[in-house]
Amino acid sequence: MTEEAKERLPLSGIRVIDVATVIAAPYCATILGEFGADVLKVEHPVGGDVARHFGTPTARGDTLTWMSEARNKRSVTIDLHRPEGKELFKKLVAKTDVVCENFRPGTLEKWGIGWEVLRELNPRLVMLRVSGYGQTGPYKDRPGFARIAHAVGGIAYLSGMPRGTPVTPGSTTLGDYLSGLYGCVGVLLALRHRDKTGRGQYIDTALYESVFRCTEELAPAYAMYGTVRERGGPHIETACPYGHFPTKDGKWVAIACTTDKLFARLADAMGRPELASTGLYGEQKIRLDNRHEVNEIVRDWCGSHTREEVLEKCNAANAPAGALNNIADIFGDRQFHARRNLLAIDDPDLGETVIVPNVVPRMSRTPGRIKQLGPKLGQHTEEVLKDLLGLGDSEIAELRSHRVI
Amino acid sequence: MSSAAASQGTASESPGSTPEEKTLPLEGVRIIDLGTFLGGPFAASILGEFGAEVLKVEHPVSGDPMRRFGRATKRHDATLAWLSEARNKKSVTIDLRKPRGVELFIKLVSKSDVLIENFRPGTMESWGLGWDVLSAANPGLVMLRVSGYGQTGPYRKRTGFAHIAHAVGGLSYLCGFPGETPVVPGTAPLGDYISSLYGAIGILLGLRWKEQTGEGQVIDVAIYEAVFRLMDELAGSYGMFGKVREREGSGSFVAVPHGHFRTKDEKWIAIACTTDKMFERLAEAMERPELSSSHLYGPQRQRLKARDEVNRIVNEWTGSLTRDEIMERCIDKEVPVGKLNSIADIFEDEHFKARNDLFTIEEEGIGPVVVPNVVPILSETPGRIRNLGPPLGNATYEVMRELLEISAAEIASLRQQKII
Repeated sequence: MTEEAKERLPLSGIRVIDVATVIAAPYCATILGEFGADVLKVEHPVGGDVARHFGTPTARGDTLTWMSEARNKRSVTIDLHRPEGKELFKKLVAKTDVVCENFRPGTLEKWGIGWEVLRELNPRLVMLRVSGYGQTGPYKDRPGFARIAHAVGGIAYLSGMPRGTPVTPGSTTLGDYLSGLYGCVGVLLALRHRDKTGRGQYIDTALYESVFRCTEELAPAYAMYGTVRERGGPHIETACPYGHFPTKDGKWVAIACTTDKLFARLADAMGRPELASTGLYGEQKIRLDNRHEVNEIVRDWCGSHTREEVLEKCNAANAPAGALNNIADIFGDRQFHARRNLLAIDDPDLGETVIVPNVVPRMSRTPGRIKQLGPKLGQHTEEVLKDLLGLGDSEIAELRSHRVI
Repeated sequence: MSSAAASQGTASESPGSTPEEKTLPLEGVRIIDLGTFLGGPFAASILGEFGAEVLKVEHPVSGDPMRRFGRATKRHDATLAWLSEARNKKSVTIDLRKPRGVELFIKLVSKSDVLIENFRPGTMESWGLGWDVLSAANPGLVMLRVSGYGQTGPYRKRTGFAHIAHAVGGLSYLCGFPGETPVVPGTAPLGDYISSLYGAIGILLGLRWKEQTGEGQVIDVAIYEAVFRLMDELAGSYGMFGKVREREGSGSFVAVPHGHFRTKDEKWIAIACTTDKMFERLAEAMERPELSSSHLYGPQRQRLKARDEVNRIVNEWTGSLTRDEIMERCIDKEVPVGKLNSIADIFEDEHFKARNDLFTIEEEGIGPVVVPNVVPILSETPGRIRNLGPPLGNATYEVMRELLEISAAEIASLRQQKII
């Protein structure tokens, strides 16, 4: 994607300050950077963003998560606890379109660089504020992480075997990414409004709300019928067969027959079209009433074939089935290769290739790009202070000696 | 029970609305939502909340199958999922399998800014509605195409749903206990929401580009790809170290204690001690500060090594107190903790109330319906919910008459032929 990327992208000329940590608000900045924005990662001079230490370290010290998700960003170190640091930060904000932050509410205000101050400096500013519980409400001061947000937002309760211990919904960082996505929608909306009216605004994104917003009819069904949805293991209440089934070779497939037509195709794939007759399991209602029996039939069939065989038969009959891939499977998957979902990028400082997920979404005329992986701490401090703020060598040396940058 | 917990509102009132409604960011933008279910259509739901006019184009007889998906209501053409997620949309019926329907649709596209679809790749082309035709009708068109596997690649023609995409994208494999059955990652349509969020971002970027250059484009989102993009360092660590991440139950490989713990009253809480400082606070909340000493479990490295023992100690403690007692002690010490909420808990939660996360709207013929409110919250231009999922074809006449300037007589004839 690097070579064929166009010079101009939808966000060329937009400058973003990412003063946030880990994944939530930073991921919004990551997407903006993929589509042309100049992203300045403002970090503490000692240690930097904790994402540099979150996960598996590389030989360079920074973790793989950092290398992937800080893609395209320029690292600028500023100590925001110091008066000189605050001044530098304010000068940068005056020349910036978007600020992304995810401190606990009130933190930037305590440092004297809250929304009111920054808006005064730059009335056109768009500011994304991500936090565990949002900027308002009784829990706003509590520490919040995606793990907690999955619990509070209602999806952890739904993950796991019926009556068993609730499990992590796949990934502990899911809520961070979801908040980054909602935040990014908010930032793009706000930029549009600003371009029309000249007025900036802030976007208040709570991790738990980003999770809760993805629960379809969970809330309406409780309000109307008092239904408290419980954990369903690999299955769901509204369709059958729908779940994960083990295959002969010790692997798993996912099958989802949400309609009668899809079940008829599965019955064809199984070589037992009679199962989809009205006298047997042709109708969803009957399948749901006999879910144990139906699941058992599908389980027996899957268990008597390898995963490849099951998928081949399902695909031939257009039945909805897929491999339950682990990451090794993914690296061998033809579709991932054909769509270039895995991108190998050389990092000059590491002297190694790092494999990262490619840009999503895929745009036909203005494809996003990955110019570089996560920068080294403070790699761009000097160039940014010189080019953007017009500081001289001696000033920079002095700021460095005082550990402001 | 429910409506008391939710914020009050009516069909004409929006969350956070002011007497004089502000111009929303997408005012004047027209979106055609030709998708079914959620993967793609949810992008239109978000954009509609922020001012876009969304025309849901549906088959004249059956409509979007989402209308029948999930819990039924008193309205025969609307389940609760439809009511909530087709919010703010207007329904226009056109049969795209008929030539005259295709003509009408192309005319509609020429008067719109955005088109969203999620058929299996090749379906639109088979109706004579490929990108070449549509972009000829409207060179500035921004088109979002969501599908299970994307518009390219060997699997593109396969049937794809979020459930399959969670599996293919690597999320389901990680959900469940080690060596046991992988389970659904929370909610069945999660991947539909995720792909729609990427789609909404693509549309907003595409609109920006179109306004700068006049050029339209296609945004191609595969649901499996949208899911896979969220898998932090899963690919990186397999690529570099050959590490295959396995299911971790309620825990996480990066930190301990970091998981779900049962309380005395048979409820659950989540605790996330990602750093040593947080574990120190937890040890204080447990009144066992010695646990965080350097020779015991102070450093994360030691906790990871003694994972089972640390989790056992925490479980024992949480099992000796009620959920409320655990919450109180942890919050007092600033330990990252949260109730593992069921939907019943959520309706009782004071924070959800304070932020108006549950929005009540009066729907004709049904009564009050509670739906999740708009996310994210914008300070100057908050989104709004004007109406829930519309009755089938409620705006067909208006759109045909006013937008496409078709005579009343012809509309009647189109109806009779079941073209609209």
